[in-house]
Amino acid sequence: MGLISRLAASADVPVFPVVGIGGRTAARSLATLGGIRVVDHPRAAVLMLLVGRPTRSLLRPLLAVHDQLSGPRCTVWWRTGRDGGDELVAALPAVEVLPVGDASALRRVFTELVNGARASDPPALDDIETTPWRGVGPYGQGGSGMTGGTPYGRPLVGRAPDPDGLQLDQLPLQVGPFFGPFPPGLVLHLEVQGDVVRHASLGENPFTRWPGDAPLGPLESGVFFDAVAEVAPVAGLELARARHHLRWASDALRLHGLCSPARRLAALAERIAPGDAELVVRIARQLGRSRSLASVMRGVGVVDPERHGLRQGIVARSTGVPEDARLSDPAYRPLGFEPIVHEGGDAWARFRQRLDEAAQALILAERAGERIRAPGPAVEGPRGALAAGAPSPSGQLLGILPELLVDQEWGDALTIVTSLDLDVEEAAHEVPAEASA
Amino acid sequence: MTWSSPLAGVLLVGAVLVAGAFVVVVVDRAWGSIAAHQRVRVAALVAGPARDGALLLLTRPSTTERPDAQAWVLAPALVVAMAAAVVAAVPLSPGIAVADVDDGIVLIGAAFALVMVGVYLHGWSANSPMPLTGGYRFVALALSYEMPLALVLIAAALPAESLSVGAIVASQHDIWNVVRQPLGLPLYLVVGLGLATWGPLNMADGADLAGGTTAEVSGVSRLSWELARRSVLVAVAVVGAAVFLGGWQGPLLPGWLWMAVKTLVLVAVLTGLGHRVARIRLERFVVVAWAVLIPVALVDVFVSGALAL
Amino acid sequence: MSGSGAVDIAFWLAGTGSVVAAWLVFRTDSMVRAAYWLLASFVGVGVVMVLLHARFLGLVLVLMMAGEMTIMAVFMVMFMMNPAGLNPMTMVHQHRASKIAGLVAFVGLAYVGLVADFPDRPADVGEDPTAALGRELLGDSMLIFETAGVTLLATMIGSIAIASKKGRYGSGEDGSEAPALEPVTLAAPADRQAPADRQDGETGS
Repeated sequence: MGLISRLAASADVPVFPVVGIGGRTAARSLATLGGIRVVDHPRAAVLMLLVGRPTRSLLRPLLAVHDQLSGPRCTVWWRTGRDGGDELVAALPAVEVLPVGDASALRRVFTELVNGARASDPPALDDIETTPWRGVGPYGQGGSGMTGGTPYGRPLVGRAPDPDGLQLDQLPLQVGPFFGPFPPGLVLHLEVQGDVVRHASLGENPFTRWPGDAPLGPLESGVFFDAVAEVAPVAGLELARARHHLRWASDALRLHGLCSPARRLAALAERIAPGDAELVVRIARQLGRSRSLASVMRGVGVVDPERHGLRQGIVARSTGVPEDARLSDPAYRPLGFEPIVHEGGDAWARFRQRLDEAAQALILAERAGERIRAPGPAVEGPRGALAAGAPSPSGQLLGILPELLVDQEWGDALTIVTSLDLDVEEAAHEVPAEASA
Repeated sequence: MTWSSPLAGVLLVGAVLVAGAFVVVVVDRAWGSIAAHQRVRVAALVAGPARDGALLLLTRPSTTERPDAQAWVLAPALVVAMAAAVVAAVPLSPGIAVADVDDGIVLIGAAFALVMVGVYLHGWSANSPMPLTGGYRFVALALSYEMPLALVLIAAALPAESLSVGAIVASQHDIWNVVRQPLGLPLYLVVGLGLATWGPLNMADGADLAGGTTAEVSGVSRLSWELARRSVLVAVAVVGAAVFLGGWQGPLLPGWLWMAVKTLVLVAVLTGLGHRVARIRLERFVVVAWAVLIPVALVDVFVSGALAL
Repeated sequence: MSGSGAVDIAFWLAGTGSVVAAWLVFRTDSMVRAAYWLLASFVGVGVVMVLLHARFLGLVLVLMMAGEMTIMAVFMVMFMMNPAGLNPMTMVHQHRASKIAGLVAFVGLAYVGLVADFPDRPADVGEDPTAALGRELLGDSMLIFETAGVTLLATMIGSIAIASKKGRYGSGEDGSEAPALEPVTLAAPADRQAPADRQDGETGS
């Protein structure tokens, strides 16, 4: 046993991140820490890492995720952003607060768990059946007919016509807010037939700010929001844009099964500098030529700027609309900025659009030097123009998501969710609390 | 020494599968480091499988609400057993054959068909949406590749005029099947990726399903499942080396070493594809399988048959 | 063949296992389990055939049944209004009719087994059963097997034509729907009298 626990202690630390308010940036840096492995599902994790401040509507899912860790398990907390949330975190059996971004502290907790120095967390919820049911019939079925009754409180699903004209089962399914492949906080209520999404609607935004709550943030796209009211260096903004798009591309590659190229992009995003323009141009060209990526994304999730009401932003540019707030921004005028557009408006166009804009942002950052942008509205954020009072770009994109998901196979649906680059916290940031309830 | 004695056979097949699975992990991670533009650390690579395995051994197994417990445990066992049956049917060297039966190719086909049952059950018995979807997606994939698999194996048996793997290896004395039937090996490798639910054809355990059939397993069950997938990949490579790359035949080196080298090459090709090619869309693969792979496999059979006459 | 004792043990194990698995098909509470108990039963039969020197037939049986039973499980789950096939349900119904049918079949088979005068033609051990099977399939019995093959192929093409996206009732993308069973939408009885016209009119929905 000694040998096994010694060996196990030197394995990569499997971590399942759960993201609260203001935690997304730190959660993303997790993937680039040495000796840490971010896992897709809590079952595979030893540490549940809470990043940021939890909210009331995140608490119940948080406890459920906690209990899915098989054990030995422990909750660790990276407190990013503003203080608070302690009274919610107290519902977890034990929480270790660790310094943000410190891989060695995570490893210390992991090692203690593996070699038995630290006891595994007890479950947070009672293991009880919500609807105990024993059935009437001899095999535990309902008792009337072959499948009568409502086993375990779950009625047999309703049937609905499928595109081939057959009547097939339609299973209601809630996904999120901590579903690994989704952006943190996204809750979707789906009706699926097999792996085809037949109906989709957005769940409550768990980051919604109730009266009396502390403000949200810091957002991942915070520098762009700040630039509305504050002076900002153009090079800083463009570097942040390039980093944002490369992080997104890393997520997209990971979703499509290319984990190691994804690791490369994630690492590159963390240490990006204006001099990397050439490298990013090369990567963008390389990935843009990939036949397999093209076949996965081409024709999936086509956005129509007219029908979906998208007049500006990166998604609109991927449909051929050359709208960009930087065009009318005096700080960008001497830099020779020209908006990049792609045709098609599908996930593949958005993928290439983001990579090309990452490369363009680095070139702009190089040209900008020490140039300063005066505060003013209509900052072009990584998803679209930000202006005080206007709905956030993420909010707009969230609005068109359910429609795009209808009649998509599961893999395509996930491609669409990822391709829109959603930030659920950003969506809650601008929308008043009454409107989104 | 006779390799067909039960004890020696079990030990040999077990050793091939365990060593093969280890090599698969190491080669796969080496490819991963290269594709991620990271330094290849040999010590960490070699120790990696043991470390992760030890961690899984220490992790508690998890359960879901009302799983089919027996089938859940049996699924990885079934898959490993079928991989073992396949390896047993392939002679590794002129003297080293556990069970080179007359109908070896049919045995391999039957064992690979039962792998499908194992993967499906692994997803189904968890009683949870993501694993279940993974299981069903795998069935759709598997039903599409079964025909090309059967056809390329039959085509390879035609020049040997025998269904025994030993005879197929011997028939490649002058010219390997990879040259004689250029369509065979590429088709077989595509199918092999699907069989092992690997890389671009990882339908059962994909990242879009948060791990698919593995989403609800941990501890020893997870370890045995990962071992099972890798043993299928090893079995695929062993069969590919024997049926298409001339098996143990080659100059200078002893036969078993040639077999090991050729198997390693196929393992490297299969795992390398996983780091280069994105996971395909299932619908597209099904269309390609029925509209392209099966006709191409039929051409392979017809041409091979005509040449063998 | 070395160790005929081991072969005897394997034969009885596979034979009994096959019968027990077949019985469990009806004792289990889920369609997927039932399908795979049936597969286990077939695998037992396959092993028996391998032990009887019909290796090719035994292995092909396993090969085919692994796919067939999976397809059967998937189709049963699809048609039986049971998400994933995990909700418990009874696998037997129409008890009286099935008891009678089972009894009649058993008595009939038992009668044939006990009374029929089976030909006693021990096969030559040296003969290759696979080659003999091939000669039979492409020789004397060719017409039978080809007829069966072509019939099956026609069935397959027919079912694909019905099930395809461009289905019987128009394209699946446009919401293919079966016409109503009640003839309420038809304007005049005269429309129904010419069957040739009706075939054209059917695609109009």
